[in-house]
Amino acid sequence: MMNSAFRNVHITASRLINPKPFSSSILHFLPLCSGDASPRRSNPLRHRNSVSPSSSFPFCSTSSFSSFYIPMAGGDGQVSHSLEKQFESFRVQLEESAALREQIRAVVMEIESATRLIQANLLLVHQSRPIPEVIEKAKEKIVDLKKFYGRLAEILHECPGQYYRYHGDWRSETQAVVSQLAFMHWLETGTLLVHTEAEEKLGLKSLEFGLETEDYLTGICFMSNDLPRYVVNRVTAGDYDCPRKVMNFLTDLHAAFRMLNLRNDFLRKKFDSMKYDLRRVEEVYYDVKIRGLISAGDQEIQGQS
Amino acid sequence: MLSCSSSAFQRVAFMLMAPKLKPQRLHQIAETGVEQLVKKARTMSTESSMKDAFSTYADYLNNFNEKRERVVKASRDITMNSKKVIFQVHRLSKDNKEEVLEKAGKDLEAVRDQHFARLMRELQGTDFWKLRRAYSPGVQEYVEAATFYKFCLSGTLCTLDEINTTLVPLSDPSLEPLQINILDYILGLADLTGELMRMAIGRISDGEIEFAQRICQFVRQIHRELMLVVPKMDDSYDMKSKMEVMLQSVIKIENACFSVHVRGSEYIPLLGDDAPTSYLLGAADVE
Repeated sequence: MMNSAFRNVHITASRLINPKPFSSSILHFLPLCSGDASPRRSNPLRHRNSVSPSSSFPFCSTSSFSSFYIPMAGGDGQVSHSLEKQFESFRVQLEESAALREQIRAVVMEIESATRLIQANLLLVHQSRPIPEVIEKAKEKIVDLKKFYGRLAEILHECPGQYYRYHGDWRSETQAVVSQLAFMHWLETGTLLVHTEAEEKLGLKSLEFGLETEDYLTGICFMSNDLPRYVVNRVTAGDYDCPRKVMNFLTDLHAAFRMLNLRNDFLRKKFDSMKYDLRRVEEVYYDVKIRGLISAGDQEIQGQS
Repeated sequence: MLSCSSSAFQRVAFMLMAPKLKPQRLHQIAETGVEQLVKKARTMSTESSMKDAFSTYADYLNNFNEKRERVVKASRDITMNSKKVIFQVHRLSKDNKEEVLEKAGKDLEAVRDQHFARLMRELQGTDFWKLRRAYSPGVQEYVEAATFYKFCLSGTLCTLDEINTTLVPLSDPSLEPLQINILDYILGLADLTGELMRMAIGRISDGEIEFAQRICQFVRQIHRELMLVVPKMDDSYDMKSKMEVMLQSVIKIENACFSVHVRGSEYIPLLGDDAPTSYLLGAADVE
């Protein structure tokens, strides 16, 4: 082929006859081969190129790359310049990304502390404080959470499509939020807070910034982890009806979770732990039941069936 | 919430009678036949709304897991075929550069056409980042192959922009083109040095000292630049270990060049094009 002939000439020429001028002309039209990387310096070089013995070569077209080979690029000045420029721009971009992450983390910390306050409030139910009062206080903080998530959405609005690039930064905090909200919701209504309701509570309605389903489900598992303790303390406080309520709820929840095809990930692990919560609650119920502590309400039901 | 209590009660009743049976089994017994139907009817409202909600989650998870599987498969195909390109480039020697690189170029193009196109269809919108872990290995390998090929072709670094430009024509105009992100590019570049090290050693054995020296300079430059970038990367753990491997590669190439410089200078003029290069074996302890 023409090219290999050319190369042979190049080698013999550079080695034997008159190495310097020839190889230097090669060095100079080399950057052209990088095509679109260096369009702006093509003019003066093209001129040189026409002087070279191989002006008929389509050096600039990508298709000719594969048939052109020079082991010694040599044009280090040019090459390393474009290389440096690329890495410089990488640094800038990565720094921007890091700055964004800083902003996100600042908001996430606020989310975290608001969640803690909610949790601290809700923990009062273990001390038999009246539920409406406890919930009332905790609810006030949800407004804050909503505000923080709004801020998070705003930050991420600047980089559309990159929700999941930074998602890891608020994932576990959000799971904790969901677990508290769901617990609160259950205390209030005795039902499960579904995904859309959770999104609504946090004001995450937009398509761009939503509540990740897996985070929601993980949060629900966290909530289930808290229930055995609640049952134990309620019974201690004399509420013997509580175990049955919780047990029914957890049984349904567990059955619902079994509809999901989970992967071997964190969520799967949390779901596996749910059955221990259920068992613990069942045990408490059993203890209460066997001692005849359950009130007449249950007898009524038995009569019905 | 009184709804399920009868079966719950029965469960306990069974427990009293046969305490050794496991609760789950009791559950099954309790929920057979008429009782189950009765219970179902009564719990319809709360339980079924929960089930409805969970069936949407199940759909979501199923769809997404399937998508992830497809992406993983595409990624594996990209890895496999990019590796082939790398091997192809390694086959080059003094006499067959054109053919070898031409084939490598075509293979690389085939990887794009066949497999990247598949990836692109799956990675629209937010999935690009969500599934990054699923496709990142393949993309890194592709970056490695493309930069390796380009370096052997022209002695220059194939920039991210250049790679991404070659990916644009693949996409359906209605889809947004897949653009490799900086992180995967850098991770792929970090692996490139290992291949270049092998190449340098091979070229030295083949008598192409200049090429090896060129590789040496290039790899040093890459290492230096990456060193500045690494601390700014999101999950730099992977990258830190790659940097160590990279430094080892650089050192190996430098040692090989050193051997040639010190011992080889006397011999090179004497060597014909295809002379054996056993004097260099000391430098080639790498592989």
